[in-house]
Amino acid sequence: MTIKRAAVIGSGVMGSGIAAHFANAGIPVVLLDIPAKEGDDRSAIAKGALQKLLKADPAPFMHPKNAKLVTPGNLEDDLHLLADVDWIVEAIVENPAVKADLYKRIDPVRKDGSVVSSNTSTIPLGVLVEGQSESFQRDFMITHFFNPPRYMRLLEIVGGEKTRGHALAAVADVCDRQLGKGVVRCKDTPGFIANRIGVYWIQTAINAAVDLGLTVEEADAVVGRPMGIPKTGVFGLVDLVGLDLMPHIAKSLLATLPENDAYRSAFREHPVITRMIAEGYTGRKGKGGFYRLNRAGGGKVKEAIDLVTGEYRRSDKPKLESVTAAGRDLRALAEFPDKTGQYARRVLAHTLAYAASLVPEIADSIVAVDEGMKLGYAWKQGPFELIDRLGTDWFAELCRSEGIPVPPLVEQAAGRPFYRVEDGKLQHLTTAGVYDTVVRPDGVLLLADIKRASKPVWKNGSASLWDIGDGVLCVEFTSKMNALDGDVMAAYGKAMGLIGDGKGDWKALVIHNEADNFSVGANLGLALFVLNIGLWPQIEEMVEAGQRTYRALKYAPFPVVAAPSGLALGGGCEILLHSDHVQAHAETYMGLVEVGVGLIPAWGGCTEMLARAAANPKVPKGPMPPIATAFETISLAKVAKSAAEAKDLMYLRPSDGITMNRDRLLADAKAKALELAANYSPPEKTTYTLPGPTGAAALELFLEGFALQGKATPHDVVVCGKLAGVLTGGPKADVTQPVTEEQMLSLERKAFMELVRTAGTIDRIEHMLTTGKPLRN
Amino acid sequence: MPIYKAPLEDVRFVLDEIVGAGKLAELPGYQDATPDLIAQVLEEGAKLCEEVLFPLNQSGDAEGCTFENGVVRTPKGFKEAYGTYIEAGWQGLSCDPAYGGQGLPKLVNTMLEEFICSANLSFGMYPGLSLGAYNALSTYGSDPLKQRFLGRLVDGTWAGTMCLTEPHCGTDLGMIRTKAVPQEDGSHKITGTKIFISAGEHDLTENILHLVLARLPDAPAGTRGISLFLVPKFLPNEDGTVGPRNGVACGSIEHKMGIKASSTCVMNFEEATGWLVGEPHKGMRAMFVMMNAARLAVGIQGLGLAEVSYQNAVAYAKERLQGRSLKGAQHPDKPADPIIVHPDVRRNLMTARAFTEGARALGALVGYQLDVAERHADERTRKEADEFVQLMTPIVKALFTDIGFDAANIAVQVHGGHGFIWETGVEQYVRDARICQIYEGTNGIQALDLVGRKMPQDMGRLLRRFFHPVAADIEADMETEDLAEFVLPLAKAFAKLQQATAVIAQKGLKDPEEAGAAASDYLRLFGLVALGWMWLRMVKAARMRLATEEGNAAFLEAKVKTARFYMAKLLPQTNALFITIMAGAKPLMELEESAF
Repeated sequence: MTIKRAAVIGSGVMGSGIAAHFANAGIPVVLLDIPAKEGDDRSAIAKGALQKLLKADPAPFMHPKNAKLVTPGNLEDDLHLLADVDWIVEAIVENPAVKADLYKRIDPVRKDGSVVSSNTSTIPLGVLVEGQSESFQRDFMITHFFNPPRYMRLLEIVGGEKTRGHALAAVADVCDRQLGKGVVRCKDTPGFIANRIGVYWIQTAINAAVDLGLTVEEADAVVGRPMGIPKTGVFGLVDLVGLDLMPHIAKSLLATLPENDAYRSAFREHPVITRMIAEGYTGRKGKGGFYRLNRAGGGKVKEAIDLVTGEYRRSDKPKLESVTAAGRDLRALAEFPDKTGQYARRVLAHTLAYAASLVPEIADSIVAVDEGMKLGYAWKQGPFELIDRLGTDWFAELCRSEGIPVPPLVEQAAGRPFYRVEDGKLQHLTTAGVYDTVVRPDGVLLLADIKRASKPVWKNGSASLWDIGDGVLCVEFTSKMNALDGDVMAAYGKAMGLIGDGKGDWKALVIHNEADNFSVGANLGLALFVLNIGLWPQIEEMVEAGQRTYRALKYAPFPVVAAPSGLALGGGCEILLHSDHVQAHAETYMGLVEVGVGLIPAWGGCTEMLARAAANPKVPKGPMPPIATAFETISLAKVAKSAAEAKDLMYLRPSDGITMNRDRLLADAKAKALELAANYSPPEKTTYTLPGPTGAAALELFLEGFALQGKATPHDVVVCGKLAGVLTGGPKADVTQPVTEEQMLSLERKAFMELVRTAGTIDRIEHMLTTGKPLRN
Repeated sequence: MPIYKAPLEDVRFVLDEIVGAGKLAELPGYQDATPDLIAQVLEEGAKLCEEVLFPLNQSGDAEGCTFENGVVRTPKGFKEAYGTYIEAGWQGLSCDPAYGGQGLPKLVNTMLEEFICSANLSFGMYPGLSLGAYNALSTYGSDPLKQRFLGRLVDGTWAGTMCLTEPHCGTDLGMIRTKAVPQEDGSHKITGTKIFISAGEHDLTENILHLVLARLPDAPAGTRGISLFLVPKFLPNEDGTVGPRNGVACGSIEHKMGIKASSTCVMNFEEATGWLVGEPHKGMRAMFVMMNAARLAVGIQGLGLAEVSYQNAVAYAKERLQGRSLKGAQHPDKPADPIIVHPDVRRNLMTARAFTEGARALGALVGYQLDVAERHADERTRKEADEFVQLMTPIVKALFTDIGFDAANIAVQVHGGHGFIWETGVEQYVRDARICQIYEGTNGIQALDLVGRKMPQDMGRLLRRFFHPVAADIEADMETEDLAEFVLPLAKAFAKLQQATAVIAQKGLKDPEEAGAAASDYLRLFGLVALGWMWLRMVKAARMRLATEEGNAAFLEAKVKTARFYMAKLLPQTNALFITIMAGAKPLMELEESAF
């Protein structure tokens, strides 16, 4: 079965977010809610939700036009719309009776063989299907999305005894390929995987912080980065989720968890927190949470709650000896002889033991548990991977010393790790105590797996080259923040040398990495230091080397396919502009943001944007419109908030591909690279018909207007003036004499070198590096 | 008998051409500091140094300070000389008129300090420390403290000291043990022992104000737990006269290699009454702010000794008749040629001269930027000047004191056997110069400050304040043909400095020991380039004046020739330094500790 159309019932935050994400996947979706009691429009509730979606930040839609795929309606007049859909997601209030009633109403109208799923996070499937028709039970399952549905990658899927396996597989497949989710099969147990462990972890971490007398900052500093958990830690996370939500989740878990579940003894209400909730300090959405920004008196002071007094006080970034001393060594952190080390020990022991005790109760394999925590709570490593980091033996000892029963799985491991690499393949320990290979779904190719199985073909300090099979070579950035430097350029050079004419062992090049961000651009810190000591020739060489390399890649006799995800800014965006094809993850954020640091794109970015604008059918003909288009995009340093938006901004071409699931990105890119390699010829060289000074004067007039309105700062005028000069072909250009690509690049370089020597630009770079924010000078 | 004449003409040249004529008077509050007024002041100061202080230098060295029953006596004549000094108002030259000062720029005082240090370094220690105490108190002291004490420091009737070092800690002040216990009246009781306290006790003034670093009871460990206190020798009465003796006394004085007329004391504080200066636990910050001025002042000591050493070497080289020139007799009328005809004697003299004049120019520039950092109307200009001063401070301190010591040694060498004799007077300069390389942060510490703190700060922002103007000056004259012999060597040395900077910064990020191993060589390389820059600017100015027939042609021609010597004979040392820097830490570190 295929899912051509879908419906979501319930237009709250979750329901509307799920509907938006169906639209992001190109699936038309009906969004129904109860009829409005007042007003003329009985569908006002769902329609209002749709309007809210368009204003929400971060945006639930990858592109505003996706809103057209959502048809809002109400549950009385529009129930018939369900007859057309293949999958109905129920996301209404967590009340079994209300849900049962709804199911009874939709069952008769829905299409034969269509799937119904509930987004419940607390009600067991068995309860939900009670009293429903046999056919309903066969078509029913739970699909548990995380908030916000577009961005959170985890999707927990639960089938009942009677659920058709075929339907379950079809939905899982749609979620994986079209919605881009990491699908984890769970058993029908309370809280499924992620929340079951996550809520226990939060409770334990709060209890221990209170008992050991840690401040919230200290607790988060221990439980965050050192454990591979987002730096929000645990208190910061509760601020995000909402303090008031926690008692609700606790209540529902306590109602359904097994009698002897460890959560029951961990659960505790803390008076300070209870009072905070009562007074409206419910987190970021409320008056403040464990942290807040106090803007009193026009200031901006970060404050944190004192867990003893419940009063806010100035928040200081803690410098913990334990964290500094331990570095990456988690065991050293847990062994550190102070209260923060004790805290790490207690949180790790309880949380990981709890997780380990839940297999096979909540999932058949440890892999599902690890996946759930990584995708649902953004842990860098899952519980079993964390136990491996500590050592299963050491962990068993830790449990004993903390007075916790050693989980049977840990006993059974008997010192063996939960994961091992055998013949280059990742294997995990099964509940039977033997190793089994971790199998990736078809069409999933992970660099992480390749890296486990092989050594790099070549590497230096900032990049590695990997053999990803079938004659395709992959460049992976490995520098800090994937910043681009001379070593990255050297890696491209090496790759070109290896691939040669593309007719030997190697056929194509893919540029990809699995970091959060593809690349945030050139290494500015290095550049600033070089600037400060006035080593201009070295700066110019950095610019030239980038131009040379990117051009060589563009005209190489083999295809180059880039597969970005996350931020691709500045020089990281320019490499995409030079690739034959970009296979972008849907969550790719491209932008030429050089103007923000007082520069212009000079690794061919201006030139390529001009070429794209000229080639785009939506841009009117003639020399000026493409120039104006590129000028607007670059001068405003626009960053696309999705791959779809990048197409609008022409950072991506209409022909470039978008992959919804990150795990499928590399395979898609590789397939495209091989397809192109079959009959490849490099692109023809372009020339540009540009107006020269007259065109530049027009743009400058425009700039002056902006400056007068206060929309452009004095240095904006300087920087964008240079940009105007480049995009219009320089002082000697006129429409009768085409400008070559080489000339364009030389203009970019010249403008860049002039800017880099201005105080305004140096100030911008320095400000960006020291504060992380652009300077408006 | 040694000789000394204050180098007034060169100072005027440097003020007009390196700082810029009239630049000081453009700063708010310094409108009166016109070139002519400054010249007059310095002329008067020169007289004082030549006629009053200089004659006491050798006798002071012979006699030294004496310690008896807790009382320290300065050598004969010092008290009278000090009286002359303060009566003429020299102590308050650069102090706030609100407290009786003359309100002249600090740079003017810096130039005067050079003369004082040439004439009598030991004497200079006393007013120098008082001025340091004045700076600390006027910057950080509360209004009541300032009202009570600043006037006396300005008129010189009371003196000041800085009490930092303790028996177990010098460089590492985080280990300080001296205690300060708060009293109900807001004062503190200070208890502890301080050593190496210059001017800690003497007979020049009726009272002495000690600025003491100590720990409050609740102080965190390390340098973040140190506070600054003012502790007078005698507690003042309400009417400002000297009252009862405070619980501070000199335990003994040191017997030293040099600056013998400057008393170096062990100071014992026993429940001495003191008052907090600035905020609790922020004493080191106050110290750091003053350190730029203090380190610049020590650099100027080096400069002063270099100048007087050079003058004596020249005088001797011209008058000592011995042998004949390698080219044959140059003065056939005399029994022998003066030794100045010899290339090697010339090498010595030119080296001392080129370093001294270059250092004077750089010292003036840094001193001027210190005034700009304090006084300029524009905040950004102030900040940039402050960054320049921060960067250049360790270089001025270490390079100038090395130059001072080297020049003193040169003077001894030129004097031959007579140089080794006390009566000749130049060996004193070697002994006096030695301490300048050690106190106020050893020169090794200065080098570490440069590579470890100043270089990486804000990704090299401080460096910009030096590298950009130098790059601009080189670029501006790169094509000027008749400057080629000056610009090209500087350009080459500057490129080496740029490369070394980039390499050290990069290596230092991964391995601080690499930066540490390069530090002293790097500071020297930096300093040589900085002096080269000064010489380029001086030679341009001299050429300009010669072309317009303005000023003393002989003086200006000599500038050009000295510049040529510097570029050809001294600046190339940068090549060797570059090579040793690139050799890295390994040759220093590989020998096992046990093998030493």
